[in-house]
Amino acid sequence: MKQFVEGAFSIENLTLFYGNKLALNDINIDIHNKQVTALIGPSGCGKSTFLRTLNRMNDLIPNCKVDGSIYYGEENIYSQESDVIDLRRRIGMVFQKPNPFPMSIYENVAYGLKCQGIKDKNILQAAVKKALVDAALYEEVKDRLKESALSLSGGQQQRLCIARAIAMSPDVILMDEPTSALDPIATAKIEELITELKKDYTIIIVTHNMQQALRISDYTAFFLMGEIIEYGKTSELFSHPKNPKTEDYITGRFG
Amino acid sequence: MTYRVQFEKELEDLKIDLIKMGDEVISNIKDGLKSFLTMDGELAQATIKKDKIVNDYEIIIEKKCLQIILKEQPVAKDLRLITAVLKMITDLERIGDHAADISKMTIFMQENTKPYTVKQMALMTEASQKMIKKALDSFVTRNLELAYEVINDDDEVDEYFLQVKKIVAQAIRNNEIDADYALYLMMVAKYLERISDHAVNIGEWVVFSILGEHKHDVIF
Ligand SMILES: Nc1ncnc2c1ncn2[C@@H]1O[C@H](COP(=O)(O)OP(=O)(O)OP(=O)(O)O)[C@@H](O)[C@H]1O
Ligand SMILES: [Mg+2]
Repeated sequence: MKQFVEGAFSIENLTLFYGNKLALNDINIDIHNKQVTALIGPSGCGKSTFLRTLNRMNDLIPNCKVDGSIYYGEENIYSQESDVIDLRRRIGMVFQKPNPFPMSIYENVAYGLKCQGIKDKNILQAAVKKALVDAALYEEVKDRLKESALSLSGGQQQRLCIARAIAMSPDVILMDEPTSALDPIATAKIEELITELKKDYTIIIVTHNMQQALRISDYTAFFLMGEIIEYGKTSELFSHPKNPKTEDYITGRFG
Repeated sequence: MTYRVQFEKELEDLKIDLIKMGDEVISNIKDGLKSFLTMDGELAQATIKKDKIVNDYEIIIEKKCLQIILKEQPVAKDLRLITAVLKMITDLERIGDHAADISKMTIFMQENTKPYTVKQMALMTEASQKMIKKALDSFVTRNLELAYEVINDDDEVDEYFLQVKKIVAQAIRNNEIDADYALYLMMVAKYLERISDHAVNIGEWVVFSILGEHKHDVIF
């Protein structure tokens, strides 16, 4: 009998097609609660696709067909009963390109809460502040909360998107290459933030930066052509990969 | 097919430099001992001078390793390889110092110092040279068994050292050996014994480069 852990994922025989193109082939892994899991692999191997299955973002893509099961805690998120809206609240997502809404910094963070029906100004203000503090952005924007979010730098915008995700008090944050467009300092801030957030959230992050995976993640999954070739402790995978394909990829000799 | 052609080339270059450094060191041991046994002061001077080449190799290889770490951010077996090289050159450099030390014994000897032949000295030199060569070969060919062989070969050199000590002690008791010469000879024997210890260290780094274990501890 399977032991389900709150906030963790158990993925079984997950297969995904875009039309008749197989994008994920029989994925079977357990993702650990309150740990950082990095997804690595060459472009087009299915990392983003996999990430999107975890909060059913692929449902929005026409002719996308998913098979198998993803347990989130004890709940199979692909079952009929699963509430997708609530699922996406609990499992937030941050994308590769910062995508703030064209509204004020404050409204960006408050938006989701308002959609949930929260109207009390004091509650909203407190929640926005907390999210901005947690996303390590508050000090930089506290005097300009009414300004457009688009006036922020790329790194600040990305942290705003993280704040927006955190504001919904999710259990899990999915991140798809969150620092690929950022400079080393902004990247370092996000990485530090991820390490901080890990105390409260389960984080799954796609990255093309091997050193980043090494710095911030506890577990790493190596994807290749829609399959997981190797999955294990990050320190192990980058020092003693078990599969020669993993070694070829992480040492840059993949061909 | 590999995508990191330049990186591969840099790693190959590193191995070639290491072998060249090893060749210099081996040749200096040979010349150092020859200078001692034949009391050839000129050869001793030349050998001491050549140690600079060894020292220069250490710096060149060090720089290359650091550049590779900086540019290529190696992981897994690549990181083990570069770390092993950085460690091995320290031992090779020390071996080079000992070859120079042996040559210095030649220079310290006076014109009137009377030599005394101990055949184990040549055997010991040969054995320690072989150990260095074997250690470097095992690195380049990633031959774990050969690396373990080097680690075990040390016993042979230690045994020669004990034999030399015994023979010299006997010769002293029999008044057959010049007192100064006896001291110099023992010093040279000790240097050779130390050289083989460094060869063992190199063998241990070869094991690390292959397994990530150093003296049975997994360190990477
Ligand atoms: N909406 C879609 N419709 C059809 N095919 C898609 C769709 N999205 C992705 N694919 C295909 O599925 C495969 C996996 O794509 P995915 O975006 O998951 O890769 P990835 O690992 O995230 O790559 P990258 O590192 O470039 O972001 C690719 O072959 C891609 O072309
Ligand atoms: Mg992607």
